[in-house]
Amino acid sequence: MTSDALTAAPPQGRRLDKRRFEWNTSLLLLPAGILIAAVFVYAVGYSFYIGLTNLSLLGPTAVVYHFTGAANLSRLVHDTFFLHSLWVTFLFVFGSGVVGATVIGLALALLMQKALAPIRLAAAAVAMIAFMLPPVTIAVVWYAASVPQGTFARLFGNPNSDPLFSAPLLFVSLANMWSLVGLAMLLFVAALRNVPSDITEAARLERAGAIRRFTSVTLPLLKPTIVTSALLMTLLSLANFTIVWLMTGGGPGTATSILPVYSYQQGFQFYHLAYGALLGNVMLILTAIFGVGYVKMARGKRQKGGSS
Amino acid sequence: MTTAIETVPPVDVKGLTRVEERRVTGPAVLSNLVLGGIALLFALPLLWLVLASVDKHASWSIAIPHFTLSNFGSSLADGRGSSLVASLELAAIATVVGTVTGTLAAYAFSRRHIPWKGPALLFVLLLSAVPINVIIIPVYQIFSQAGWLSLIPTAIFLGITGLPFEIWMIKNFIDAVPTELEEAARVENVGTLRIIGRIVVPLAAPGIGAAAIYGFVNAWGAFLIPLVLISNTAQQPAAITVYSFISAAEVNYGGIAAFSILYSLPVLGLYLVMGRWFRGGFVLGGALK
Repeated sequence: MTSDALTAAPPQGRRLDKRRFEWNTSLLLLPAGILIAAVFVYAVGYSFYIGLTNLSLLGPTAVVYHFTGAANLSRLVHDTFFLHSLWVTFLFVFGSGVVGATVIGLALALLMQKALAPIRLAAAAVAMIAFMLPPVTIAVVWYAASVPQGTFARLFGNPNSDPLFSAPLLFVSLANMWSLVGLAMLLFVAALRNVPSDITEAARLERAGAIRRFTSVTLPLLKPTIVTSALLMTLLSLANFTIVWLMTGGGPGTATSILPVYSYQQGFQFYHLAYGALLGNVMLILTAIFGVGYVKMARGKRQKGGSS
Repeated sequence: MTTAIETVPPVDVKGLTRVEERRVTGPAVLSNLVLGGIALLFALPLLWLVLASVDKHASWSIAIPHFTLSNFGSSLADGRGSSLVASLELAAIATVVGTVTGTLAAYAFSRRHIPWKGPALLFVLLLSAVPINVIIIPVYQIFSQAGWLSLIPTAIFLGITGLPFEIWMIKNFIDAVPTELEEAARVENVGTLRIIGRIVVPLAAPGIGAAAIYGFVNAWGAFLIPLVLISNTAQQPAAITVYSFISAAEVNYGGIAAFSILYSLPVLGLYLVMGRWFRGGFVLGGALK
């Protein structure tokens, strides 16, 4: 409102309260702007272009390649491995991110409310360390735990069994979930602190049981956090390549070939850079959809917070 | 309360207040047991890491170790020690790129009038969700044509991948710095860069430090990007060394565990430092603010 008011500037010096675009603002934005444009506009745009060419990693089309129109797209819609990969990606993201991490994160946050200090601190510390570790280390510890002679094989009673081979998608999903629960837990611990105690107290006075208090009072109040967490976990799981690639390489067979893995294999193992890029573009579009949802949630909260 | 993702204020686990009186009830015992059980299950993969790293006869199994520290020494042999140095170079360059350009842009977003500022900031937030691994093919193509397949260009690229989130983080911290000092300095005709360097940066230091740590951890943990973009194996960082270590013909279990610990400790250490800045609160508390 005030920013574009056409008040005459005082002859000497500028008014500091008047909001107008200053020339050196663009200089401040320029370095970050150029870098971001180079990667997120140029490289992403280039990715969409490459996806519609016949570029390959080796051979003549590695040097001289050209636009092939919808050829790669028609390959994509007829590619049964792509459909399979999409399905595996869905199971991985939904199972480990949306359901696994969010539900266990919420459960941990709820249990921590009533827990004894040492148990609460131990649970928080373990979940946070798992969240902070670099992806490569997460892959190493989960690989070690799920191969023959590893922790899970022994826990299930047969040290020579190979859990990672017999249930590969389950174990890479568990590894991913394990690495995300800490973040979900943080979100829910914070949200639970904002649940006003007088509401739960009122429900208690109305003789509502613990389960009823949870489903009718706490859960509705936590709904925005649950949606935020599910979206954030979806985005973080979609971005995952390292854990799956290091634990299984997408195998055995194609059992764990989530889209980022399939894209990498097409590009760098089968030398189909163009088709790999196209698969990456599918990921970009999926991410954009969930990302816009996430940003909308964030903005909704800001507006609500601003008005109160 | 005008900042966006306000759901994560710094969480002080110790400071959770207990309103009701503590009584030993069935549900309380049960919830403690369940929580303890989950914590134990979660700790199992880590337990192997710690025990195997100090075990002379380590395997994939959790076992009482035959204590030795030699795994740590042997894990650094065959050029693996220098891969940690490469990781440090990679992460340091990425941190400087992201933090310096991020601070300038964040200052502009916080203090200046910018047309379409709201949508621009939301776009920046959206960019921080882009899974950078999936654009590795076009980036590889650009890098190979330009002859950039080496450590420094890769480090700069990793710095950019963290930049959108760093701008967002730093902007929210600068927003919390009072403007009076800057206004006084402006009246005295102090230049913008000096205002940023002498007033804003010191006052927003914990936030800028947190963004720097985010940038460092982001680059230190990167696996696919250096794997594809650094062609010279002597320059490859520790993340990739772990990979070659684990796929070697003769598996050195203790060495893998020891090296993974050495590789992870800087990250855990930096998070702890950040935790102290926010008085026990956690990083992403500040980060997502």
